[in-house]
Amino acid sequence: MLESIVEFLILGIILGGIYALFSTGLTLIFGVLDVINVAHGEFFAIGGYIVFAAVVLLHLSPVLGILAATSGSFLLGLAVYPLLIRPLKRRLGRRPQGPLFLVLTLGLSTFLQSTLLAIGGGDYLRIPPFVRGMLDLGFTAVSYQRLLVLAVATVSLASLFLFLHFHRQGVAIRAVALNPDAAQAVGINLGMIFTLALALGVALAGMAGALIAPLFNVYPAVGFAFTIKAFAITILGGLGNLAGALLASFVIAIVETLSVLVIPSQWQNVIAFAIMILVLLVRPQGLLGRADRE
Amino acid sequence: MIVARTTRRWLWFAGSVAAAAAAPFAVPHPFLFSLLIQATIWALLTASWDLLSGYTGQISFGHSGFFALGAYTAAGLAYHVDVSPWFGLVAGAALCSLVGLCVGFPALRLRGHYLALVTLGFAEIVRLVAQNWIPVTGGPFGMHDFGTLPGLPADPLRHNEILYLVVLGITVAAIALMLVVCEHTDAGKAFRAIREDQVLAESHGINIKVYKLYAFALSAALAGLAGGLYAFSIGLVDPNLASPLTSAMILGMAVFGGLGTIWGPALGAVLLFMMSEGLRFVGVVYNLIAFGAVIMVFVIFVPRGIAGLRFGSRSRLSRRDVTQSKLGPNRPQSSGGR
Repeated sequence: MLESIVEFLILGIILGGIYALFSTGLTLIFGVLDVINVAHGEFFAIGGYIVFAAVVLLHLSPVLGILAATSGSFLLGLAVYPLLIRPLKRRLGRRPQGPLFLVLTLGLSTFLQSTLLAIGGGDYLRIPPFVRGMLDLGFTAVSYQRLLVLAVATVSLASLFLFLHFHRQGVAIRAVALNPDAAQAVGINLGMIFTLALALGVALAGMAGALIAPLFNVYPAVGFAFTIKAFAITILGGLGNLAGALLASFVIAIVETLSVLVIPSQWQNVIAFAIMILVLLVRPQGLLGRADRE
Repeated sequence: MIVARTTRRWLWFAGSVAAAAAAPFAVPHPFLFSLLIQATIWALLTASWDLLSGYTGQISFGHSGFFALGAYTAAGLAYHVDVSPWFGLVAGAALCSLVGLCVGFPALRLRGHYLALVTLGFAEIVRLVAQNWIPVTGGPFGMHDFGTLPGLPADPLRHNEILYLVVLGITVAAIALMLVVCEHTDAGKAFRAIREDQVLAESHGINIKVYKLYAFALSAALAGLAGGLYAFSIGLVDPNLASPLTSAMILGMAVFGGLGTIWGPALGAVLLFMMSEGLRFVGVVYNLIAFGAVIMVFVIFVPRGIAGLRFGSRSRLSRRDVTQSKLGPNRPQSSGGR
């Protein structure tokens, strides 16, 4: 029993790494732009498709594939703010936004998902593992592929943290998240920071999609399940709270994987939403949140 | 003046209903009627969403959950208990109304993003239950062979014709009910006040808790009714009814039609559904691409939807009517950007 708990704990931590990459991006975008990106999962899927094209079709090395997926979704993400978010923000001015950005990114999600369906077809695409072999821990074995996922996620999240705290643009991003007006007053180009934050956020999703592609299969709607689970995670962590999102990713992932020991596995996916609704009732500001934002 | 305008609007309403009931008989084909039945059900579903989200401003991403719950209740009662389908329709709506209260209750404390995410989670729970509670719901492949409404003729064309009229009648009655509630009762005024500024509404002595729950219960009940109608018209219910894609289609149709007008989203649903089905002949994928593009373009550039485009002079009147409670002397007059 203890061994299987440890085994599932390891799996949970690895899954948490993927959740963390994904929901950190979502939280970054929400914190800076005040927009919940419903199309986040589609960038996850795009990352998977790019890595499929690079590794399976072009026979490039997986490292190049992951890089291509990350930069590809970054470049696509650069276009989202100027083309979609800014026109709507400009039209709204100071009026409350209501559901409009949710509807807008929902439209983007439908658009991207069906475009992927038109280009790649509805088939489940298989991608061979980037690295083969297992690490033998005695009582259980963990595939190197999963360890690679965890390592890359840790490195990227650490560099994101360093970027946000020590790089000039990163500090500017945090300044805009705290107070856009004051940030603008000290000469920060808001439009550029919005564009950058959105592109960074979806690049993290693209990277997550590329990393996990060999474990799951790639198909157009692969990201949507992640998007709604990431909503639960961001609620648990507190909307817009990066550290909270990080913590909540691991909490949800570990609870989910451990739950297999007590309940049938097909109910596993309900847990995240049950936790979300519980959190909203008991502690709406999230795990690490202070004041209620809304 | 107000009476005259109201009368004119109801005349418009009655006229379009009569036209909708009579026009398709010019081209009697079962397929056309089957499309129209679905379009009408979408109109009811989208209008019910608009009552809660467009009109009262409580954004729900979970109406697919109420839709599926109504469909499964109606189908399940007919299949397992063998009661009259009419009873199933009513039971589905009643259950949804109860569940709507249960979802609405925690939502009293939540607004905006949080509410959207909670309702999304609710719909996802409905979907997962439908998928996994196999003895009752039939699992991933859903339920079929639970019959249809009683007393319909066997001939496909006649069957669809009568069914269309029944569905249209129920839908029109439900939409008229929502319009009456919104335009002619105190609840309608309270809904608008909550949408515009719920703190101000509360300080004016409006019991926002009661009215929010009222909106939740009524909206959920009508969404469940749409689900029941869907079950008996299509003859198949499956977990995908509760998928976020259904909610996405509802939102897209409502934005396309014009938020907060009830009739706009209903019209938008019919037009967009027909457009999407028409584009199927071009390619099954392209209708969804166009769907996403239409949503984005309308949100950004046509915020009032087709309800604001057509009948230019009339819509300006009705807009003032809708917004008169909120406009101060120096507030810019545009209602699209809440």
